[in-house]
Amino acid sequence: MKTTSIPLLAAAIVLLVSSTFVASVDAQQKLAKTAVPDRTGLSLHASDATASAQTLRNPMAPDWTRIPSQRIALNRTPPLYDTEVPAALEIPYVDVRLARAEGKLIVQMIWRDATQDTAQIATLPGTPTEGRPHKELTEATDRFFDSAAVMHPQHAPAEDVWPSLQMGDPGQPVTIYFWNSARGAARMQAEGRGTTKRTGESFPCQATYLDGAWNLAMELDGIPSGMPLAFAIWNGSQQDRDGRKYFTTWLKLE
Amino acid sequence: MSRHQYAMVMDLNKCLGCQTCTIACKKLWTDRDGTQHMYWNNVETRPGIGYPRQWDQVGGGWKDGQLQPSKQPTLDDYGAPWEFDYEQRLFEGKKKPVMSSPDPISGPNWDEDVGALNGDDNFYFYLPRICNHCTNPACLAACPRQAIYKREEDGIVVLDQERCEGYRYCIAACPYKKIYFNEITGKSEKCIFCYPRLEKGQVNACAAQCPGRLRFVGLLDDPNSAVHKLVHLYKVALPLFPEKGTLPNVFYVPPFNPPKRANYGKSILEDPRLPLEYLLYLFGPEVKTIVVRLEAELKSAQNGTPSELLQLLIGRDAETRYQIRPQLVQIQPRIGGHS
Repeated sequence: MKTTSIPLLAAAIVLLVSSTFVASVDAQQKLAKTAVPDRTGLSLHASDATASAQTLRNPMAPDWTRIPSQRIALNRTPPLYDTEVPAALEIPYVDVRLARAEGKLIVQMIWRDATQDTAQIATLPGTPTEGRPHKELTEATDRFFDSAAVMHPQHAPAEDVWPSLQMGDPGQPVTIYFWNSARGAARMQAEGRGTTKRTGESFPCQATYLDGAWNLAMELDGIPSGMPLAFAIWNGSQQDRDGRKYFTTWLKLE
Repeated sequence: MSRHQYAMVMDLNKCLGCQTCTIACKKLWTDRDGTQHMYWNNVETRPGIGYPRQWDQVGGGWKDGQLQPSKQPTLDDYGAPWEFDYEQRLFEGKKKPVMSSPDPISGPNWDEDVGALNGDDNFYFYLPRICNHCTNPACLAACPRQAIYKREEDGIVVLDQERCEGYRYCIAACPYKKIYFNEITGKSEKCIFCYPRLEKGQVNACAAQCPGRLRFVGLLDDPNSAVHKLVHLYKVALPLFPEKGTLPNVFYVPPFNPPKRANYGKSILEDPRLPLEYLLYLFGPEVKTIVVRLEAELKSAQNGTPSELLQLLIGRDAETRYQIRPQLVQIQPRIGGHS
């Protein structure tokens, strides 16, 4: 996959979506200028933070405001299965800040989501069950939860040949930092679609839902410059899980 | 196609609705956190809403080689678990009777013995259900993670807890709604046909505990098995909703001769207590042929002709009903998919 083709495609999709809401060419051009994200997906800048990693783990920490925000267009995966109903583009973009602190790369993601889809899971695996009644079920049986992820190749890829956005390729594994609003954070690995595997490890991650938006901070390993990153968001109320989600293209970390 | 296929036949003329099978299964397999609503084996009154509620009305399965849309049951469709306020009544001075909370609105066999009217007469029967361990499982096809597989050695359909990510496409795809989501583990679960028991030569717990002796278990491809004889030799057992296209390996002998008051001995074709239309709904058009066949066999036996079929259906002992063949089944490590 060429590094330039997908970002251009993403920009084209944004323009196309924008064009459905305006009547005149002038208005369309004006809207395109304002609606197209500051960065259409070519690269991302990580700033050296003055605050500690501990501080930045809080997505609401005031120190985040010193880091420039970068708006990234989100794409919607097409229906993957015969029985799947196409989903609307309810979340058009995510605002990302990247900070380097104490050898870590800390990611803040903020996106608007009208519904907070989460639940208090009665108990998590590993909790002793002896001597107490079974935990009651919540309403989670048929619900899906808001989630987000950051993905990067495990090894620095060759120039212009990045792994597939669909969870990497055989021989080109990716690491996925996955957060689920009800189940917490999990680090995963994959080598292609359908191969995602939990490593059993977690990572520092905090999220706050406030005024119709998720504010999320993830502490990643110190991913070096030049490495591509990709972001994904799952909207629980849209039955999102699996490949049914919002995604960005690969973005080169500067 | 698996090399062998375990199957079960249930004779609906013999089911008492006692739920002993349900409890046997529950105590053995789903006595854990997150499994309150899971009945890998359930017995429901028919006609009725079933469990989960209206499972037979929401689609799934196959049509023209394509998976059909469906929906996931909600917690209300299973019936939210409720508690009783014993503490308030016994220790806190509450005067009113013990009440349940939340107010129950549904549950397993919620409409027990309600049935329906056939003319002026009420009728119902019981329908025990487990996973059908289908030959063409919709759940398996719907799982994008290949977490569900059909065991090569015996055709049992199992769900790999390591690979499952709780996407629940399988629950929607199964037209029988026999896969359940465990929200505590975040993974789906289903009936495993008691394969650990079968591998030791013991029959499924639901069958072993059945006081009505209505279950027959064996390899469908074993010509000496009761299941083979009932399905392929005597042809008196049918799968549930065959039009769903999943090719179930659980079969039912339809209720063909329920005695009607003051009219004992007449079949549902002559003076139906149980309308044939309802059996056609459940089992498809072939059920009429089977009723005719069973009626003829019954009349022949009543006239003194020995009937191996009826003796088999009576199933006096375990040796008659179960032909478990662990020696035929070479346990294979799982092949393919991702570890």
